Amino acid sequence: MCGIAGIMFKNGRNDHETGMALIDMLDGCQHRGRDSTGFALYGEEHRNELKLRFLVGEGAAANESEALIKTALETHDAEIVEDKRVGNTYQALVKFDGDLRSFAYAMEHAAPDAKVISIGQSLDIVKDVGSAHDVDDRFHVHEFKGSHGLGHVRLATESDVRPESAHPFWATGFSDVAIVHNGQITNYWKMRRRLEQRDFEFRTDNDSELVAVYLADKMANGVALREALKDSIEDLDGTFSFLVSTKDEIGYAKDRLAAKPMVMYENDDLIVIASEEVSLNRLFPGQALNTKEPPPGSYDTWSKST
Amino acid sequence: MVQIDLAEVTVRQANELIRKYGAQGEDIDIVNPDARHHIGVGLTDAITVRVHGSAGYFCAGLTDAARFEVKNNVGWGLGDNMYSGSVVVGGNASAIAGVAIRGAEIVIRGNMGSRAGQVMKAGTLLCGGNANFMAGYLMYGGRIIILGDSGERVGEDMAGGEIYVGGEVQSLGSDAKMGDSEGAEIDDIRAFLERYEISYKGGFQKIVNEGKKLHYKTSEQQMRSIPFVAFSGKSDYWNPKIQEDIHIKSQIGRYRVRGYGGARELPHLSDITFARDISNLNDISDPVSKVEMHTLIGGKHGATPLDLSMPVMIAPMSYGALSRSTKQAIGMASSLAGIAENTGEGGMSDAQRDAAKQLIFQCLGGRLGWNIHDMKRANGLEIYISQGAKPGFGGQLMAKKVTKELAEIRGIPQGIDLRSPSRHPDILGGDDLLIKVEELREATGYKLPISVKLGAGRIRDDIKIAYKDGFDFVELDGMQGSTGAGGAEVMEYVGIPTISAIMDALDGLAEIDAADDIQIILMGGLRDGVDAVKSLCLGANAVAFGNATIVAGGCISCMQCHVGQCVTGIATQDPEHEKRYRPEIEAHNIHRFLESVRWQIAALTQALGYDDVKSLNRDDLVALTPEAAVITRLPYRPDLRERQPLVEAV
Repeated sequence: MCGIAGIMFKNGRNDHETGMALIDMLDGCQHRGRDSTGFALYGEEHRNELKLRFLVGEGAAANESEALIKTALETHDAEIVEDKRVGNTYQALVKFDGDLRSFAYAMEHAAPDAKVISIGQSLDIVKDVGSAHDVDDRFHVHEFKGSHGLGHVRLATESDVRPESAHPFWATGFSDVAIVHNGQITNYWKMRRRLEQRDFEFRTDNDSELVAVYLADKMANGVALREALKDSIEDLDGTFSFLVSTKDEIGYAKDRLAAKPMVMYENDDLIVIASEEVSLNRLFPGQALNTKEPPPGSYDTWSKST
Repeated sequence: MVQIDLAEVTVRQANELIRKYGAQGEDIDIVNPDARHHIGVGLTDAITVRVHGSAGYFCAGLTDAARFEVKNNVGWGLGDNMYSGSVVVGGNASAIAGVAIRGAEIVIRGNMGSRAGQVMKAGTLLCGGNANFMAGYLMYGGRIIILGDSGERVGEDMAGGEIYVGGEVQSLGSDAKMGDSEGAEIDDIRAFLERYEISYKGGFQKIVNEGKKLHYKTSEQQMRSIPFVAFSGKSDYWNPKIQEDIHIKSQIGRYRVRGYGGARELPHLSDITFARDISNLNDISDPVSKVEMHTLIGGKHGATPLDLSMPVMIAPMSYGALSRSTKQAIGMASSLAGIAENTGEGGMSDAQRDAAKQLIFQCLGGRLGWNIHDMKRANGLEIYISQGAKPGFGGQLMAKKVTKELAEIRGIPQGIDLRSPSRHPDILGGDDLLIKVEELREATGYKLPISVKLGAGRIRDDIKIAYKDGFDFVELDGMQGSTGAGGAEVMEYVGIPTISAIMDALDGLAEIDAADDIQIILMGGLRDGVDAVKSLCLGANAVAFGNATIVAGGCISCMQCHVGQCVTGIATQDPEHEKRYRPEIEAHNIHRFLESVRWQIAALTQALGYDDVKSLNRDDLVALTPEAAVITRLPYRPDLRERQPLVEAV
């Protein structure tokens, strides 16, 4: 129950106003959900370093979580380069070159009241309850410059209205993979058990996290994003339109019933995808766009350098 | 000609201006539309509206007579439910273009998205480019012309109408087949193309309904006459009901369909009683004059609320399941009692509109009889999601009841076994629903309360969506609700009991701190004023009676509502049967029943120590069974089971 948005600038530079563009697009479709809003933003790549974002809440409990996280980072030989607390988050840039999945799971368990929002060399996920402008006021998303990103507005149905239930979802255990999803995966538990049997961990009961882990697992095994998206249409049941992003790519998949909306516009400089054309028009006010609606059961990807 | 700049005014303001200038016959130019939703919705004047750019969802929706020209693209639901008039789109249309149209001409010069023409009844939908998945899905009539390729599964479950394809027919949908087109049909298409200046010289392939799914293969034999008491009572394991069920299934080889209410014992309002001794009831004289019962429903968002003389309404029941005379009688009774009536599925008849002072108009997935003119003369609008007797299923109307007159008002072929769609074409989630609610508000100038009918399923979640989507109130229907026709097993085994439904609803709202922010009308097997008072104590703002009003109006509870030969003239469309029903007399019978409800509500409210029904609360109740105690979290008081039954006392 939501609205999704994605943008990628094609020239590979990291200085585009992606934060502002996503705020505008999400404000355009905020009517699709006002409970929470989130952004996956890809900026400059930190080689041999990782950006970690934790949800820690406020006050004394947050201080305690921060201390526990710092201890866990030290235990796992992750050296803090810089860190800060912004709102209900703790953010750290660390030097780390070990096995990412076990490190990520360890970070998930570092403090009982803290939750990892994202881990990546260029990915930052910013999400919280409230509208696009509310979240921007708290985290200054509009200042963010980068190459590409995703956004999401949510109308909560089954799960609660909490910051951690907001989208985008990070592919737990994999760096730099994020997803925004509109729809419902009906074979969620079947697929999740299959992945859990292979020792994957899930942080939420949200079906969007499953999509992220499913795709990231495929990519970790050498499958290209494009192929992974193709497989997802076969493997996932339900109604869905989702966008996925990695360090260098952005892609979409749409279910075979075409029950969830998606529309895109592409020119020489960028590709923008959203639930509704009204979001795309926010970037091009007063212009009639030559948009395209992806057919049922379709998928595609775009990468930064091409 | 007037120019409206959507960079300067909101769509709501723009639509008010469009209607104002439309009434004066002025044409309109819309600039800077930027794909905004609901442009022109609800317009019923024969003017031209030019949209200079792209439009969003429901462009030209719920209109009649106007001409729209959109320079570029449109979003979901182009021309939703248009009666006459036209829309020409220069670019592409998104999903469900031409949904539920009743006679308009829609021309899309580019491509169109999936499920175009879903549940359309009449008119022409033309696509100059390629169509997408399931064009003509569930269409009942009219024609779709696709100059390019058809898309996959074209004509899926169409019941009537024709689809003409110039390009490739990629694959046929279920119950669709290739047909032969006559010269005159093609000539007519060419004339249409010429009128819209479209040059196309190629030929056409035609797709029509195959007719395999319009009727049940074997009709169901009539039930033996088993009295409802035996049908629903506790008896031996292989009781007459079970035996008959097996006998009939051995003949028809499918699930059975029947009417009337659920017949399985479930926790219900009779498992709850009042906490305090109310033996003072008989000493109360003229309670009606002493108790405030006046109730306003649905004014939260600025609409004119329903004004009820007591917290009671009539439950939605369709003209179709019930005869026109029955709906008329119920309407009259509702007026006499000062409460509101509801159209149910299948449209609004003049007789019903004239009879009922306050009438809610219901919008269902098949959009059968749904239209802008009746919306405008309604007192409330309601989006049906599901009903308590058969949550998740659409209505069923057997062929016998689908008469010529009924088919006309619904816009469907005569004499089919109508299985109404269980889903709305344009509501596939809470996000779409919100845009739909906004469309209905735009179309009626934000004057009418808008409610949602929910059959009890996952109410704890659904009520949150209802609240977030901005509904004024919820009609909440439990499993004990009745129906004109439903799958027999579904009626007895699918759903949530009425007392669970209200608890789940209140719990869901409490979780999001919205406990008093959306009104709840509880229904589903309520039988009298005692049930009404218990419902109000549990937390409902009002209640609705369906089956009880039918019984008050002469129903003999034979459970054959689906057959169409109702001996009392209630559940029939056969004039020979219907003439037995005398609406003026039955209206008074129903009204007297409603007055008995009023007296009971007043007397019980007094006996419980209040002079206003709004004072009734949970502390007034206790549970008599462990099940009811668990469901309602009321104190368990088995010792009170032996108390004199309240129905006799009141």
